[in-house]
Amino acid sequence: MSTVITSALGQGLLYSFMVLGVFITFRVLDFPDLTVDGSLPLGAAVTATLIVHGQSPWLATLVGVAGGIGAGMVTGVLHILLKTGQSDTNNYGPKLLAGILTMTGLYTVNLRVMGRSNIPLLGVQVVFDKIGHLLSILITPWTLVAVLAVLAIIVTFLLDWFLHTEFGLCMQATGDNEQMIRALGTNTDLTRVIGLGVANGLVALSGALVAQQQGFADVGMGIGTIVAGLAGVIIGEVVFGAKTITWLLFSVIGGSIIYRLLIAVSLRVGVNPTDLKLLTAVLVVVALSVPTVRRKVVRV
Amino acid sequence: MSAPATLELRAARKVFFPNTVNEVVALREIDLEVPAGQFVTVIGSNGSGKSTMLNAIAGTFRLSSGHVLLGGRDISKRPEHVRSRLIGRVFQDPRAGTAPSMTIEENLALALMRSTRSGLRRGVSNRRRELMRVQLSRLGMGLEDRLRAQVLKLSGGQRQAMSLLMATIAEPGLLLLDEHTAALDPKVAGTIMDLTEAIVSERALTTLMVTHNMEIALRHGDRLIMMHAGRVVLDLDREEKRGVTVADLVAKFHEVAGEALAVDRMLLD
Repeated sequence: MSTVITSALGQGLLYSFMVLGVFITFRVLDFPDLTVDGSLPLGAAVTATLIVHGQSPWLATLVGVAGGIGAGMVTGVLHILLKTGQSDTNNYGPKLLAGILTMTGLYTVNLRVMGRSNIPLLGVQVVFDKIGHLLSILITPWTLVAVLAVLAIIVTFLLDWFLHTEFGLCMQATGDNEQMIRALGTNTDLTRVIGLGVANGLVALSGALVAQQQGFADVGMGIGTIVAGLAGVIIGEVVFGAKTITWLLFSVIGGSIIYRLLIAVSLRVGVNPTDLKLLTAVLVVVALSVPTVRRKVVRV
Repeated sequence: MSAPATLELRAARKVFFPNTVNEVVALREIDLEVPAGQFVTVIGSNGSGKSTMLNAIAGTFRLSSGHVLLGGRDISKRPEHVRSRLIGRVFQDPRAGTAPSMTIEENLALALMRSTRSGLRRGVSNRRRELMRVQLSRLGMGLEDRLRAQVLKLSGGQRQAMSLLMATIAEPGLLLLDEHTAALDPKVAGTIMDLTEAIVSERALTTLMVTHNMEIALRHGDRLIMMHAGRVVLDLDREEKRGVTVADLVAKFHEVAGEALAVDRMLLD
């Protein structure tokens, strides 16, 4: 049982950066961004390719993150080109389409980067080996969890700081009331492009770390990322019910861990791994529709 | 922060859906000069062009032809967010002027950042917080003690008072009020109008206020203009305004509306 828990904790923390990214797009920017299904494997593909070509895992991870930032910004620019006017802020069509286009394009990019559909990372030093060496610790499942937890806390504090800077407040307002923040002189196209960049950088960080932890990058590893991310966000919000952004960011990390625990438990009670994506989708549908259904029931 | 500026419209014309069956001429060669510090009330029926004029000044869309000058500079081609650094706006919907899930202090910080580039400094600094407390206490709503409350917890009147404060706190060159009391109940609308009068006169802000309420239009401001079918059909200064009653305005309104109807009939014949 203990291995199940450490493994779920590790997975939850590895994917928590991705869930933070989904939180930024979906909740802060009010931009349901499907880029993540492509930027997660992009982070993995770039990092794995650089590592097998002899680059330092630190540099490889960093470049992987940069790739994610770039992918997010491409979606932001596509959205500027696809939307019909400045005022249709509640029109999700162009936002969804921009993400879908980038995601689809990234499939080719990822294959091109890797040169094949799967790159194993066996017998090479990955970033966790470097961290273990740096801290003079042996990387076991438990120390890995500790290292990832510290990293998640650092990233969350950085993100919290960023969201409370002047620029960060403008970004929050872009998702909350775009007309208002435009009337206050903010270029919301720019805040969105940068916000999408930051979010997909986080997603790519998850991809880079997951690849190095599991020992391979695969072109198909991004499928369902958006739904898993949403599940993490929603579980975090429901379980830790939050008011301030700071608290919400930490809730989201908790949500990511609980989601992976739920998956681990499901597998243990005999759920077929191939059924997990459908289960996750149903979970998200239920969680998202509860407020609507409740409102309808109350009205009757 | 900028000083109140002179506003000029030169032959401002706006056509929606040009060269289609739905073509609408919303503004017809409007010439208007509003000296710095003047408070102008704008009345007119639906479709008269008053909101279109405000939106054209603010840059929601560009004019089809003609120019908008603010402080002597031609801003006709500048995008909305650039013009917004000089122009404060309050809309009819109290929800339009504030970010609901953000706190009172975060909203006001955004308003204080209007004329500056936003960087990586802390948005809500202690210096800004002090300034906010002073400004909020003048609203007389106790909001200065609720800086960390989410704006969605406030009433419509409180939110509109916040919107007004946010539009003026960075001392804009021009203030545009688009029926900003129309969605409020009469008592709250009165409070907001008093606040408007106090803020505008104290800072001598160049102001355009669109309203449906002729009484408010007569009682407030230094000048009144009436619009109809995309034109300014009546322009009264402070002296001329004094002798005018709501009944006079209604009569004038029927006169110009009647003329328009007569022209339509002529065209049909």
